[in-house]
Amino acid sequence: MKRIHLQYFAVLREQAGRSEETLDTSAANPADLYDEVRTVHGFTLPRAMLRVAVNDEFRDWNASLASGDRVVFIPPVAGG
Amino acid sequence: MQAFSFSTAPLDTAAYRAALVDPSCGGYASFEGWVRDHNEGRRVERLEYESFAALAVREGERIVAEAVEKYGVRRAACVHRIGDLALGEMAVWVGVSAPHRGEAFAACRYIIDEVKHRVPIWKKEHYVDGDSGWVNCERCAQPSEHTREHGHSGRHHDESADGRTHAPDYSRQVALPEVGVEGQAKLRRGSVLVIGAGGLGVPVLQYLTAAGVGRVGIADGDVVEASNLHRQPLYGPADVGAGKAEVAARRLRALNPDVQVELHAERASASNIAEWLERYDLVVDCSDNFATKFLVNDAAVSLGKPAVFASVYQYEGQLQTYLPREDWPCLRCLWPEAPRDGLVGNCAQAGVLGAVPATLGAMQAMQALKILLGLAGEATPALHTFDLLGMHWHTLKAARNPACDHASRTLLRDASLDVGEVELHYTSLRAARASGLTLVDIREAWERVADGPEPPIDLHVPLSALVEGASALPPEGRYLVVCAHGVRSLALAEHLRTHGYTEVYSLAGGLAALRNSV
Repeated sequence: MKRIHLQYFAVLREQAGRSEETLDTSAANPADLYDEVRTVHGFTLPRAMLRVAVNDEFRDWNASLASGDRVVFIPPVAGG
Repeated sequence: MQAFSFSTAPLDTAAYRAALVDPSCGGYASFEGWVRDHNEGRRVERLEYESFAALAVREGERIVAEAVEKYGVRRAACVHRIGDLALGEMAVWVGVSAPHRGEAFAACRYIIDEVKHRVPIWKKEHYVDGDSGWVNCERCAQPSEHTREHGHSGRHHDESADGRTHAPDYSRQVALPEVGVEGQAKLRRGSVLVIGAGGLGVPVLQYLTAAGVGRVGIADGDVVEASNLHRQPLYGPADVGAGKAEVAARRLRALNPDVQVELHAERASASNIAEWLERYDLVVDCSDNFATKFLVNDAAVSLGKPAVFASVYQYEGQLQTYLPREDWPCLRCLWPEAPRDGLVGNCAQAGVLGAVPATLGAMQAMQALKILLGLAGEATPALHTFDLLGMHWHTLKAARNPACDHASRTLLRDASLDVGEVELHYTSLRAARASGLTLVDIREAWERVADGPEPPIDLHVPLSALVEGASALPPEGRYLVVCAHGVRSLALAEHLRTHGYTEVYSLAGGLAALRNSV
């Protein structure tokens, strides 16, 4: 298990009802991690519409995760 | 032809007139000013005209633009002669074409009066008795009729309550070591195109104009709505229903008459944006939809112009700057597949406090000023996210995506964005079913409860499930997708069209339209 610090933006924040949380998970990469939290929070956005940043850098969905990583899922927003 | 120009050669009125011909015009009015043989009791032999060209042309262009806006004429131009002129020669020409004669006469009169009054041109009169003298035409005349009539000063510098004129005072920004006189000159030479004059666009336009950026373009095809005012305080209740770009241009010209404000009163599209952007140093995207943002992105990449993007969602905002450099990511590097409008979030308005887009807009203005001033600013490309409720700011480093081809970027319109045949209009669902379509309701379960009586629908599959994988719908079927207002269904239908579905349609206006038509 690794401990990941997660942050949510925009519609994800709304649906999760929080802007951040810390999670103990066995997810190997951001893709698995999103699937995991998607089930928990009932996120409606498919992964294909999001980008993920790990430790403040945009990364691939299959990048490896380590304990202590900060992960942000970012939906595109268009309001103006 | 140019709205205002100088000529050292005799004026060629036939050529000027030809440039104003327009099939929508039913009238043309022109004025010619000639060198006469006397002035204030002295006999004149010839004249010499001189001008401070840079300033004069700018002021002249402004006058012509004012006349076009004020009287709604189609085309207008003015040419002033400089150099030596003999008696009887033409010193100035004004031409206006308009749908009707009234506006043409009025605009023509306005232009010549204001030019005589405001444009810095000096006239040296050579008298028959051998004497000569300079006469400054600018402001030597009586206050123009238009100024008196309307009680406003159309002059280069605004008049304050005590009647004195004020030149723009940039001393507080010139005092910054990074700006200085040189930086102010850079701003004056600079030009910025702003796409969208809404919540983000208003502060961008205000701060760029106030800072003295030489030329500012406003692109917006919308009208002011009452629901805009809480976050777009450039407009007031009296502006509701008026064109946003027109109102914004008027306010900005009053804010700083030193700035040339240009109007593009239509929605940005693949057919106009490149032509607009070519004439500016950079573009600031203040639009509220993905289609426009990606269009602006592609135009900036293909023309090699910097672009500053921002968008907001409730209390959050995102800011990204594109610079035309080899290693710099564009919007598509980050989002290879442009998100479709309507798929993220839902039909219901997300809601916004005006101060949120205002904050992001001010940041965009800052980015634009930095680019014009040549201040290094951002060393590495990033997406900045702001949470104004929790006061968190994240800088997420972004890299160039090697699969994203910048070199051959074009503005070819994405065919799937043409909505014509995707939307179908029906007055009842029975009629839709009669034409052999399977009806698919993509509203979420809670909406169906909230919206009341269930319509006769074949399939219920919430949007979220369909976007993920549309396995519930065999691609060979014929479908009419239905939602509350027709926004999500259209987005989904377009999405499915690009994923192997040939006969999927969206109910135009959604179930609300059906209810209204009963």
